[in-house]
Amino acid sequence: MKNKVIEIFAAHRELGPLLLLIILGAVFYSLSPAFLSVLNITNMIEFIPEIGIIALGMTLLLTGGEFDLSVGALFGFTPVLMFILKNEGFMGIEMAFFVVIAIAALIGFTNGILVTKIGISSFLVTIGMQLVVRGTGLYISEGFPQSSWQAETPLKSALAYSIDFPGSYFKIIVSLFWFIGLAALAYYVLNKTRFGNWIKATGGNEKAARARGINTDSVKIILFMTTAVLAGFAGIIDAFRIGSAYPVSGTGYELEVIAMTVIGGTSLFGGRGTVIGTILGVLLLRTIRNGIVVVGVPGLAYNIFVGLAILSMMGIHAYLEKQSGGVS
Amino acid sequence: MAKELVKMKDIVKTYGKVEALKGVDFNVSGEEIVGLVGDNGAGKSTLIEILSGAQRPTSGKIWFEGEEVKFNNTKDGINAGIETVYQDAALVGQLSVARNLFLGREPLNQDSFLPSLDEDYMNKQAVRLLQQVGLTSIDPTAKVNNLSGGQRQSIAIARGIFFEAKLIILDEPTNNLGVEESRNVLDFVSEMKEQGHSSVFITHNIRHIYKVADRIVVLRDGEKVGDLTKEDTTMEEIEEMVTGLEVVG
Repeated sequence: MKNKVIEIFAAHRELGPLLLLIILGAVFYSLSPAFLSVLNITNMIEFIPEIGIIALGMTLLLTGGEFDLSVGALFGFTPVLMFILKNEGFMGIEMAFFVVIAIAALIGFTNGILVTKIGISSFLVTIGMQLVVRGTGLYISEGFPQSSWQAETPLKSALAYSIDFPGSYFKIIVSLFWFIGLAALAYYVLNKTRFGNWIKATGGNEKAARARGINTDSVKIILFMTTAVLAGFAGIIDAFRIGSAYPVSGTGYELEVIAMTVIGGTSLFGGRGTVIGTILGVLLLRTIRNGIVVVGVPGLAYNIFVGLAILSMMGIHAYLEKQSGGVS
Repeated sequence: MAKELVKMKDIVKTYGKVEALKGVDFNVSGEEIVGLVGDNGAGKSTLIEILSGAQRPTSGKIWFEGEEVKFNNTKDGINAGIETVYQDAALVGQLSVARNLFLGREPLNQDSFLPSLDEDYMNKQAVRLLQQVGLTSIDPTAKVNNLSGGQRQSIAIARGIFFEAKLIILDEPTNNLGVEESRNVLDFVSEMKEQGHSSVFITHNIRHIYKVADRIVVLRDGEKVGDLTKEDTTMEEIEEMVTGLEVVG
């Protein structure tokens, strides 16, 4: 019986974080029914798509055996540059959007080339890139937030339109649909396509993948580009939603996103990744952040709980790994 | 003797100032098992990586089935009919047996809404392959991490046969295997030959190679120091060639 349970939990890594999410939800609700109030749920889902979209990219990249510490900086830099291009009169907002997404892709491409072709570890490459990107954002903005004009453009509506429900506090930002769509796409790519199989093979055993004719360098470069583009895209959504782009926004997101991904059951060492687990990981950390405030724990204590959640989930994943005889 | 399958002539490979291969000739005939032996750093791995397309030679020429070839990557080698099974990297542990079998040439199910991997077909073929290697108890959807080293080697070699490889390169296939598992893998290599596949078998273990090889090639310090059919040599002689020392005793 015990072995059967371990086997099921080992085969479906999403069950651990799901269980923890349900338990925490129940605890927060019992301590303060306001936790499940319309207003609080609205608060939670407003921000989830943005960090969730970054986490989707990170999930694929981690499965491919690399990680990216420059996503938080890209989250801040991309919209800052977009608004500067628009506000200084270089181009329209739509054009600026495509230009900065292309620049994010180029930054990801550079990360990928430095890691695969030059052979520097992704830790060093992306921490260096983080400083370059963050520094550039601060320099070109002189440290000031870039305000967008308040007009509703089609682009802003497509990314961050707020659907309000009259007579209720409930609202949905359309970015939620972007997150759902991108999550479905990431799930499809990782589990149903050739490229997904190559991602897992590249992260699982790069030499074996190469011996099968898979260009593992290309796989990684594409993943670095995807991660960078998604981080920039998420930053643009955030800037449209709040009406301004802050050059320091996204600080510390890289670690939070990696934590969400790993809590969900994706391996930090490549080869195993789960999109559903990542969604649960995102929900879990957001629930903790939100829940401890609602039940009256000082917000400054947030990191204690996040740390404990990471440590306990890591313990569970390691235990499952041992029990099921896997070595990944 | 069947006709020539591989001919490598005057292969040189240098890394900066280091000469890993100093002009090596190496041939494999059809339906032949060639043992490639030598100490660490003798140049065995470099030679087979050049043959498989994983590396390019500094100079030298390669013919495959009588035609001169220049492989730019392992994909070119695979397309020509050369499969390589690395000792520590035969299969991807996190993927299932079926996914490993088709890694790099996954079949797609065109009937579905979005083109997606044809899991049914992959699983059915994996069952067939597992039967061939006598591992009928293994589920094709089982993760390779849960299999033993010998089972992994057998599956990886069988994969080469499955895709009708003309030449299968085995890099230390019996390393880290127990006695019983080694014997199974060696039997399997012999069977492979009967089915018309050639192989290059790299090993430290001269006893293993002596059992199954038709011909043994010895490398030392980047040079070929021996190329003998099994009938013309003894294990002692090969050992002397590998070390460059006379075996006392």
